[in-house]
Amino acid sequence: MRALHPFTLIAIAVALPALAWILPAPWGGVGTVVMAAALLLLPGGGSTVQAARAALLTAAPFWFFLFLLHGPGGAVDTGLRLTTMIGSSVWLIAALPPPRLVEAMVARGWPVSVAFLLSSTLSAVPALRLRAARLVEAQRSRGLRTRGGPLIRLAALRALALPLVLSALHEVDERALALETRGLAPGIRRTPLAPPPDSPLQQLARWGVVLGCVAALVWRIV
Amino acid sequence: MADRLTALALDRVTFHYPGSVAPALVDLSLEVRAGEVVALIGAMGAGASTLLLVAGGLAPRVVGGELTGHVRCDGRPALLLPTPWTQVSGMAFTVWDEAAFGPANLGWPRERIGSAVDRALTRVDVATLRDRDPATLSGGELQRVILAGALAMEPALLLLDEPTAELDPAGAELVWRLLRELAREGVAVLVATSDLDALPDAADRVVWLAHGGVRRAGAAREVLADPELWQADGPGSTAVAGVWHQAELPPPPPLTVADAVARVG
Repeated sequence: MRALHPFTLIAIAVALPALAWILPAPWGGVGTVVMAAALLLLPGGGSTVQAARAALLTAAPFWFFLFLLHGPGGAVDTGLRLTTMIGSSVWLIAALPPPRLVEAMVARGWPVSVAFLLSSTLSAVPALRLRAARLVEAQRSRGLRTRGGPLIRLAALRALALPLVLSALHEVDERALALETRGLAPGIRRTPLAPPPDSPLQQLARWGVVLGCVAALVWRIV
Repeated sequence: MADRLTALALDRVTFHYPGSVAPALVDLSLEVRAGEVVALIGAMGAGASTLLLVAGGLAPRVVGGELTGHVRCDGRPALLLPTPWTQVSGMAFTVWDEAAFGPANLGWPRERIGSAVDRALTRVDVATLRDRDPATLSGGELQRVILAGALAMEPALLLLDEPTAELDPAGAELVWRLLRELAREGVAVLVATSDLDALPDAADRVVWLAHGGVRRAGAAREVLADPELWQADGPGSTAVAGVWHQAELPPPPPLTVADAVARVG
C-alpha cells in the first residue's frame, strides 16, 4: 500500500468515511469499518499494530458517549461511522509519509506552501508524541508522579500540557525563520526531487472511487 | 581587502522587535566583504543574533518590528540558526533529502541539486550519513547536516549563529577550517560565536557588540587582545588570554597556546 501514489491513498482514506455516512446504517458502516480494519491490520496495508491500537483507543470514548446518549442502536449506527473515520485517518497517517505527499503535490504543480501545510499537519502528531514523551521523562526525573490514580494523572497532565504547548509555540517562530532562510516562500517553484510514480491504472482507480461515492450518494437521494 | 566586493552593508541600522521599547540594534554600521570571515562577539543580548536576522532579510520581514537605516545584501544569503532541531524541514526521508531541501526550493535542475548536495555533505564530513533518517541523528550530526543544507544553496553570504554550539571539538575545528575555505572561494562569512578560542586563526575581523551597537571592530587579533573585553559587560577573550589577564602579566596577551609558548620561550 505504501508504494501506491499518495493521491490514491488519500482517495481511499476519504472515500471510506464518505461511504460510511452515505450508505444505510448499520450495514454500510459495518462494511466500511471492516475495510478500514483490513487496511489497518492486514500485512501490506502500510500500517502497524500500534496504529490499529491508537485507532481503537481513540474510538472507544465515542462509543461510550454514543451509548449513553443514543442507546445501543444509535451507538452502533454512528459508532461504526465514526470508527471508520478514525480508522481510515489513522491508516492514512501511518501509510503516507508526509514528504511523499509533498513530492507528489509539488510534481503536480501545487503551491509549495499548501503542500507544506498539509505535510506539517500530518507530521504534527508523531512529532508532538515524541516531544510529550521527552517531557514526561524530564518531569519524572524532577520528581513528578505520572502513574497512579486519576487525580495524580490529572496533575501530571497539567504539568505536561503547559510546557508541551509553550515549547511547540516557541518552536513555530524558529521554524518559520529556518524555512524562510532555506528558500521556502510563497510563490516559489520547487523542484520535485523524487516524485512518486503514478500509473494510468491508479488514476483510473481514483476516478472509480470518486464515481463510486457519487453513485452511492445518487442512489441514496433517489 | 579594499578591492573586494561588499557582500553586506548595514548603514546606521536601528531595529526594534515588535512591542519592544528598547532597540535590539542601535545605529549600527557594518560591512562584510566577499572573501572575509567576520566574527560577532558580545555578551548575552548584545544584538548578534538580531544582526544576523537583519542581514539575512528576516527582520523585520518575517519577525516583524521596525527597522530604520539601510541594509544592502549582494547575492543570496544563507542563515544557520543555533538550534538544529528546529531547522529540520520535516519534508525529508533522508539526510540527502534534508540537505537538498533548500536547493530544491530554489527551483534548480535536479542535476545541479545533486552535485551541490553531494559536495556539501562531503565538505562537512557527513556523506556517510546520506541515507539516514534526519530524526535519528545526534545534535552534532544534525548541525552538520543543516550546515550542509545551507552550503548546498551556494550562498554568497553565509550567516551563522553559534555554528559550533552542538559540536564536539573535532567538529568545531572542521567548521572553522571550512569557513576559511569558503572565504578563500569568495564567500562572505558573518558568524556570531562564543567560541572565542577559534577566532585568532579563523576570523579576519572581529566586531564586539554591546547593547545593540558596535563597541569595537578591527583585525581579529587586535580586538581579541583588547583588555576592555574583560570588563563586566565584555565577552572576555580566548582562554590563553584569560589566564594571561588573570595573572596580570604585561599586555598585549597571547591569544593561543602557540603565541604563549613563543612569548614565554
